[in-house]
Amino acid sequence: MDAKTSLPRMVQGLSERPSMPGNPYLPIPSTVINVISETPRIKTFQVVFDDKERMEHFTFEPGQVGQLSVFGAGESTFVINSPPSEKNYLQFSVMLAGEVTTAIHKLSVGDKVGVRAPLGNYFPYKDWAGKNIFFIGGGIGMAPIRTIMLHVLEHAKDYGKISLLYGARTPQDLTYQYEIPNWLERPDLDCTLCIDVPAPGWEHKVGLLPNVLKELNPSPDNTVAVLCGPPIMIKFTVQALVEMKFTPESIITTLEKRMKCGIGICGRCNIGGRYVCVDGPVFSWKELQSLPQEL
Amino acid sequence: MSDYRYLQEQDIPSFLAALRALGNRVLVPTLQKGTKESVVFTPWQEGDPVLVAKATVPAKAAVLPSCETLVTYKKTKNPDNYAETSLTLTETVEAEPTVVFASRPCDAKGIAILDNPYTKGIYKDPYYMAKREKLVVISLTCNSGCETCFCHWVGGGPSSPEGSDILMTEIPAEGTKAYVLQPITAKGKEMLAKSALKDGESVVALMNEARKAAFATLSPKPDLTEAPQKVAACFANLSFWAQETERCISCGACTYFCPTCYCFTITDEGEPTSAQGGRRLRSWDTCMSSLFTREASGHNPRPSKAERMRNRVSHKFATYPENWGIFSCSGCGRCISQCPVGLDIRKIVLHAIAEAGGTVHPPKQEEAKPAKAAPVQAPKLEEVKPAKAAPAPKEDRAEARAEGKQTPSANDTEPARSPAPRRTAKKRGFIKTSLKKSGTRRR
Amino acid sequence: MSGVTSQNTNAEHSELRILGFLCNWCSYGGADTAGVARATQPTDLRIIRVPCSGRVDPLFIAKALFNGADGVLVSGCHPRDCHYSAGNFYARRRLEVLKHFLPILGIDPARFEYTWVSASEGERWKQVVTRFTEQIHALGPAPKFEDSHPLHAMVDMALAPLAPLGTGDPQLLSSVKEAIRKKLPELDCVIGWKEGRDGLHTVPHFIRTEADLEELRIGPFAIHNLATYLPNYKGKKIGILVKGCDAKSVVELLQENLIKREDVFLFALPCQGILDMGRVDQVLGRYQHITSLKTDDKTVTVVADGKEHHFPISQYAPSKCYSCTSRMAQDADMLLGNATQIQGTPQTPPELAMLDAMSLSERMAFWKSAMDRCIRCYACRNSCPMCVCRDYCVSDSRDPHWMSQSDATREKLFFQVIHTLHLAGRCTGCGECQRSCPVGIPILALRQHCARVIRELFSGYEPGTDPKAVPPLLGYQVEEEHIKEREWK
Repeated sequence: MDAKTSLPRMVQGLSERPSMPGNPYLPIPSTVINVISETPRIKTFQVVFDDKERMEHFTFEPGQVGQLSVFGAGESTFVINSPPSEKNYLQFSVMLAGEVTTAIHKLSVGDKVGVRAPLGNYFPYKDWAGKNIFFIGGGIGMAPIRTIMLHVLEHAKDYGKISLLYGARTPQDLTYQYEIPNWLERPDLDCTLCIDVPAPGWEHKVGLLPNVLKELNPSPDNTVAVLCGPPIMIKFTVQALVEMKFTPESIITTLEKRMKCGIGICGRCNIGGRYVCVDGPVFSWKELQSLPQEL
Repeated sequence: MSDYRYLQEQDIPSFLAALRALGNRVLVPTLQKGTKESVVFTPWQEGDPVLVAKATVPAKAAVLPSCETLVTYKKTKNPDNYAETSLTLTETVEAEPTVVFASRPCDAKGIAILDNPYTKGIYKDPYYMAKREKLVVISLTCNSGCETCFCHWVGGGPSSPEGSDILMTEIPAEGTKAYVLQPITAKGKEMLAKSALKDGESVVALMNEARKAAFATLSPKPDLTEAPQKVAACFANLSFWAQETERCISCGACTYFCPTCYCFTITDEGEPTSAQGGRRLRSWDTCMSSLFTREASGHNPRPSKAERMRNRVSHKFATYPENWGIFSCSGCGRCISQCPVGLDIRKIVLHAIAEAGGTVHPPKQEEAKPAKAAPVQAPKLEEVKPAKAAPAPKEDRAEARAEGKQTPSANDTEPARSPAPRRTAKKRGFIKTSLKKSGTRRR
Repeated sequence: MSGVTSQNTNAEHSELRILGFLCNWCSYGGADTAGVARATQPTDLRIIRVPCSGRVDPLFIAKALFNGADGVLVSGCHPRDCHYSAGNFYARRRLEVLKHFLPILGIDPARFEYTWVSASEGERWKQVVTRFTEQIHALGPAPKFEDSHPLHAMVDMALAPLAPLGTGDPQLLSSVKEAIRKKLPELDCVIGWKEGRDGLHTVPHFIRTEADLEELRIGPFAIHNLATYLPNYKGKKIGILVKGCDAKSVVELLQENLIKREDVFLFALPCQGILDMGRVDQVLGRYQHITSLKTDDKTVTVVADGKEHHFPISQYAPSKCYSCTSRMAQDADMLLGNATQIQGTPQTPPELAMLDAMSLSERMAFWKSAMDRCIRCYACRNSCPMCVCRDYCVSDSRDPHWMSQSDATREKLFFQVIHTLHLAGRCTGCGECQRSCPVGIPILALRQHCARVIRELFSGYEPGTDPKAVPPLLGYQVEEEHIKEREWK
């Protein structure tokens, strides 16, 4: 069954989604135009292509990723977390982890980088028309949620109720803090924040994200749940969603793997016969269940 | 004049010289002394000896070098304003016309297997494509099976044409060695037509006989039809994989010597601000290494050699077939003969099938007897056209198919293909239609 | 520098690339003193300041020499004056080993010197730097690996052995099985050998049941050094069959606290040599079936595809067997027979003797040609029982960036240098690296040469013979017996 469905998806996917034209290994020369320190370990970078025309004509779908290069150090994969309507720059949020992210964190405004984008698939928002959407972001997992949430909010009339549950370990670990007041105020978004342990001055929910989710108890009727975060959070949050009778098809998440080529060849991000870089990063829980358990 | 050509051993140097004169780099098997002799493909020059032994190292470097530059990068400061830097990126897609001479059908099939991910996926790999387009593969069909070879298990054979442009078969000749050269693709046909070689029509019958004789030497093979499902079914059985890999030392010999392994890594070498700039390199990588999938956080989805070998075997016998319809294994046996601790992928696959409750009816490899003692039954001939199994959706392949119908082709001497590749043919039909949709011409 | 046109420049007048590693506390100060005194010095030296000469990994020097340095100078505090008490004592041992090691690669050892200069010795610094620069200029620009002409060479591996080589006692197998059978219930596993793809090719075997035990093979087929597996089984009680040479690896692992003595049960086999499968396979060539395999006391006879081949162990053993002086482990838990007597003194192993007979430029050409076919599978590293970093090898490290992914021959050889120097004083010469090399590069010669250097410098030290001994590069003596103080007068 799998054998019959995977190949057509790989081949036909090309016409369905924006993809990198030309030599897919050749980064697009770009410049950092803004650096935002989000948390002690997370920075957000806004970059523009040096070729203005290319920047203007660049399109991508929410959830697609880019490979950000710091020449000499290498490249790493990050979701483009600005919404597709943002034509002035591409935004990546980067958590400090290894060699490349260390080099990225050293970047400042005006530095030259390379971008290979767009790569990967995207959130199937076209299937969500008329449905309620419940976004769940944990820590750095808020990055992919940001792009799809902002995109959906721009077209809020096409959807039902839009909610966000955003959790982090401490208030300081919340990314996009400067946007949160707006998210809380927006009438078209039902935004809930939570942190793991109480902190002075915190007026929102306290508790592990899956527990807070259970407390909110969103109805699974006509609702999709979109969640991103660390693997452990995903595991328990999905359990909670399943308990709440969300169907596997209505739970959408993203995966992360070590990647190099980003175009389905180099062979390290595969889960069974699927490659996270081309068949993902967005997967429904149903798809993930059908794959070998190698996360 | 027919399309076949006749080549005597003493004329090989002049044939190679003529290929070189046309601007080709000619890679030939070369013997190198060592604690054990090894045979590697090296560029041939006039005066070099010619050897037609099976190479220790496969020919895949002709299309996928062990290391190549993808992009060079250099940052320069604006002399009028030091605050401004400019970045120069140069792509280095380059290829010189290359002829691989006297590779074996398993090497050529390896290239055909690489063609799928590199030229038919969502993204085409321009570096590979450039080299592939300028490559002509002249394969020497094998005279006999070999203890570590198992090409016929995985849908190949000692004279199977996949990936080759020309098949070369040794025929009996008095006082010398002689070969018949059979074009498989339009590229091969053109190359032979341009050559000064004599017509080989009169010895085609000898060629067919030699190929039949070679096929008759093969040991009975197990039926791997169920392999993809059964290997996949063993995925969660980690203790099975741990047991099978207990003696594995996690080196990369099996992958680096494999004609069908194509994983790579990309690394930057050199500072962009240095005088000479830096290079982004692509080099062979191995899924046997812990580092292959280890993430920056330290998390590793394949932390032990059991998971890593599981990935290697599953890729070759389950997931690649799932994606592309054929096994990602040409049965060359190098992973068996080169393994420092003698791991045998044939046994792992057979054990996996057995572990998952499958069968491999005809005799198991372990029970294989000498060919003389257990002669292979007269092969059931099936008209298999080279192009059906040939990989690239190119016009020259189509021509080869046409040709395959008219002339006795390599496959006429081979028995019915194992069911896995038959599914291939069915599946290929699908690829064809989907490629058509995306605008690639196939006919 | 002005006034010298490029036309007239010759090697003696143009600047060469000389690298200096200077310790922060003494030599860097000495160079400063010379500078303040406005002493006239050559300008070829590029100085890298290091906290201590003990910080200078010999690989820094090797890497510099591999990548275009014409000379490398290391200078630290005088012995006994180290700011950190003993840094330069360790440095002295390592650097001396390196200096003796370099020639086997085809690198002139005069391109590397180490010395001691204190902060007050401005004049001495001037002399050192002048003298060293002159020395390098006399040698001229360093030859490059890339420029070497191909030199493919190999020697006959068979020598006259120190004790007769043969297939061993045919009755031994049953008594070995019996001994293991008795012990098996107390052990998690016993590591031995069994038949692999055919009767001739054996593979490591992990014995857990009586049925497993029946498959055991020994004698000339006890090919692999199974000690490689021991560190994988931490906390388990593992029995292991060892030949005399394998036992050295076990002892070395004990010396370095990488395994616990009580976790290992050593079954010592008397060994009369094993088959060098590389050469055996070369003789057999392409074959389909082995129909018969017979062993008499001296020879393994194989019938492959109807053709009979004789492999007398005396002619088909790996080079290590010819100079073997440890035919059976002595402090094993169970001795399974008696070893034959050794007579005479070991000869230089053939692959090393071949290199010894070559000139420096020939050696460089040899390594260039041999390493060219290396495809970096790292079987040499992974089969090495002493390569204990396992999944965290410096060759994979990006920070520090020891090795490039570039497949330049010098990078491949540099890995061999890393491996050899990391094994200096630890390598027991088991030869797994060379046996595992699928393309037959005689890399063991590098380790053999390094072991010879260690023996010469450290009073005949043999790794893997004394579980209590400290490997020489992990220690020092204030007055070294065999290392002369390096002075410039």
